[in-house]
Amino acid sequence: MQRTGLFLERVGFLQRLNPLTKLTGALLLIGAAFLLPTPLAGAALLVLALMPLAVASAVLRSFVDVLLKTLLPVILSLLLVQGLFFPGADPATIMLGPFAFRRAGLEFALTTASRLLIVAGAPLLIFQTTHPIILVQALTERGMPRSIGYILLVALQLIPAMSERAAGVAEAQRARGLETEGGLLQRARGVLPLVSPLIVGALVDAEERAMAIESRAFTAPGRKTWLHDVPDPPVERSARLVMWLALGALIVWRAAVAVV
Amino acid sequence: MPDSLPVVELRDATFTYAGAAEPALRGVSLTVPPGQICAVVGRAGAGKSTLCALCTGFVPHFYHGQLNGAVIVNGQDVAAHPIAELVRHVALVGSNTFSQISGARFSVYDEVAFGPENLGVPRHEIVERVDWALQALKMSHLRDRSPYALSGGQQQRLVIAAALAMRPPVLVLDEPSVQLDPPGTEELAALLRALSQQGMTILFAEHRLEWVAELADRVIALDHGAIIADGVPADVLADPVLRRAGIGWPRPALIAERARREGRWPAEHPLPVTLAGLVEGLAATRNGTHCEPGHQRNGGEGEQGSEEASHSNQVSHTSLHTLALTPPPAVPSSTPPPLVVLEQVHFIYPTGVEALRGVSLTLGRGERIALLGRNGAGKSTLVRHLNGLLRPSQGTALVAGNDTRKTTVARCARHVGIVFQDVRNQLFARTVRDEVRFGPQNLGFPPDQVEALVERAVDALDLRDAIAEHPYDLPPARRRLVAIAAVLAMNTPLLVLDEPTAGLDGAGIELLSRLIRELSAQNRSVLVVSHDLDFCYETLERVILLREGRIALDTRFDALDATAITTLDNDVGLPIEVRLRHTG
Repeated sequence: MQRTGLFLERVGFLQRLNPLTKLTGALLLIGAAFLLPTPLAGAALLVLALMPLAVASAVLRSFVDVLLKTLLPVILSLLLVQGLFFPGADPATIMLGPFAFRRAGLEFALTTASRLLIVAGAPLLIFQTTHPIILVQALTERGMPRSIGYILLVALQLIPAMSERAAGVAEAQRARGLETEGGLLQRARGVLPLVSPLIVGALVDAEERAMAIESRAFTAPGRKTWLHDVPDPPVERSARLVMWLALGALIVWRAAVAVV
Repeated sequence: MPDSLPVVELRDATFTYAGAAEPALRGVSLTVPPGQICAVVGRAGAGKSTLCALCTGFVPHFYHGQLNGAVIVNGQDVAAHPIAELVRHVALVGSNTFSQISGARFSVYDEVAFGPENLGVPRHEIVERVDWALQALKMSHLRDRSPYALSGGQQQRLVIAAALAMRPPVLVLDEPSVQLDPPGTEELAALLRALSQQGMTILFAEHRLEWVAELADRVIALDHGAIIADGVPADVLADPVLRRAGIGWPRPALIAERARREGRWPAEHPLPVTLAGLVEGLAATRNGTHCEPGHQRNGGEGEQGSEEASHSNQVSHTSLHTLALTPPPAVPSSTPPPLVVLEQVHFIYPTGVEALRGVSLTLGRGERIALLGRNGAGKSTLVRHLNGLLRPSQGTALVAGNDTRKTTVARCARHVGIVFQDVRNQLFARTVRDEVRFGPQNLGFPPDQVEALVERAVDALDLRDAIAEHPYDLPPARRRLVAIAAVLAMNTPLLVLDEPTAGLDGAGIELLSRLIRELSAQNRSVLVVSHDLDFCYETLERVILLREGRIALDTRFDALDATAITTLDNDVGLPIEVRLRHTG
């Protein structure tokens, strides 16, 4: 079972970058999607930036796959709801079959959807090209509390472990004659014996795991080391500076335009 | 070595858990010199785990309570230093391997590195330590595997490797052999001996007295939190006080004691605690020479002793054969109709792994069956075919004459009850009584019959005093008995027990053994999946060995011929009694 979240074991451009560079890049792209005056800036950035990066990192197919599966239902419902019920004053409509869509509503839905593509796509690309441990290491080295990093990592691994345990609980209780199929009443009867061992087991595990990480010196005072190296060459540091400046310039420019 | 300063020192240590009425440890005083392997034995609830936790600071810093007396480990006063500091002096390997895995690392290699990383060990040294620890535990080939994708035995080795990579002067292990198969326990013993020779002090709590006898330099027996015996294994493990406390004796001592009763072991000869000691003693008795107690293994001579034993040709086959704790007498078996029939069963998991490759077998009434095999041999897959949890990819599985493809698991549960190894997946009710009642209620027994079945099962597993308690308020060993009672109460003709002796003390194992014989006498069958070969040999009669999804052996323990013995030995090892005969 996949235990490293969305990460894909590939070799490519983004995989070689420091996670902080990728995070800064994502921030810049998200900022641009909101700040650029073009209506479909997000969609354009997806095609011009994220997809070429996905190609260079050998994850294009699964990037598009996950993005579509996640966002398509959201975008479709946005178009429907905003297109049919947009409260704006613009009376212009577009007829699609028997339905009259409000043009302003469709425009709003498209702009929002296009931003969503970047808001979801940029982090997705980071997760697909960064091993969780490297991401947490990079953030921890920049001052993120180690306990937060631990919680992020443990959650990734324990969710599949819990689902395996759930399968074990179901087996144990079915072997004791519990019907897990059938009518609603039948299923309702099965909730307690199926859920309770899972919760109690998780609580007991949590206590023992706390002991385990204590005994592995998690809270030991002093400097920590990391087994893996997360390189941060000067060129990347300069690139991050440029990206921060670009983001700053974008904000200032938008603010200035708004004032004028 | 006894003159060296102690690495572990307890002075009149008494500890009472917060909210508990009675102390878990009472006036414990002991000193452990550097490099000693010190075993702690005792019944479930005797205080072994508390002693382990105390020596590592988890008592009183993690589990709170009242501590009186002094505990000094590697020069550190345990009460005065937090765990975060004590971890540089002592490492604890707990008994539940799953929750010992940090969860913060994604590969075996990184998991072992987690402790040294936290200690701030330089990177090049971490790499050195991790490579060494993985090699020592024979798991270098698993370095890139997810810790959660390992078997129970592999996870056990992983958590030991992770502790070793922290290079602690003192290593404390709570039931380290519970998940390991016989070759795994032998390898662990060899490793612990090597570590002790390099100066590491090792304290471990353990139920398997034969293993303790082979490994430990010294044994401490606990009863109700107090030390009742302390000394070298040869003295402590055959001390009558252990039997009086319900801890029992290792099998070689029991065998020699029986021989003594039958006049075949001189009264003045001490009882041996190791197989080597038993073989030597029997040989000496036969040759009319005196058996020196010093011949038993003490300290680091165990391997040599075993080697001597395995090469000893002086023991007569007949005398050893008659001395062995013979397997139980045969009960007429396979009275038709059979309970379960598997015909050419193949099973392929969705991942493509073919776990069963043409298994055919018939389980009849009144049988006592051991299902043996290495990890990954297909035992768990086979067991899941006995009640329809898994259905054959090819072939047929009939439970009480019904094809499992055409019936439900709940229907099969009327005929086959299974207690899985991880009892935490099973227990959910608020009281032991409710837990035991759940199965028979599901099967639709009338209320008065349900109550009668519950009462019988509770008594059979000696749980009367705990009937109103929450199963999780009981010690883990008794929780296992609750899980067994809960399935026993379903009154199925076939009861399947997966590793039922794991974590049970001598008294618990004896209780289980008696229960299985009683069930068999009532014409009910029991199938046991276990690494505990001695338990299987003494309690069961039929032995099925699985190898790579096929049946490699299906015979009776009392009909093992030379070929069968070799087959068994190569795959899972031999019970002590069979090894004794085989040595002859």
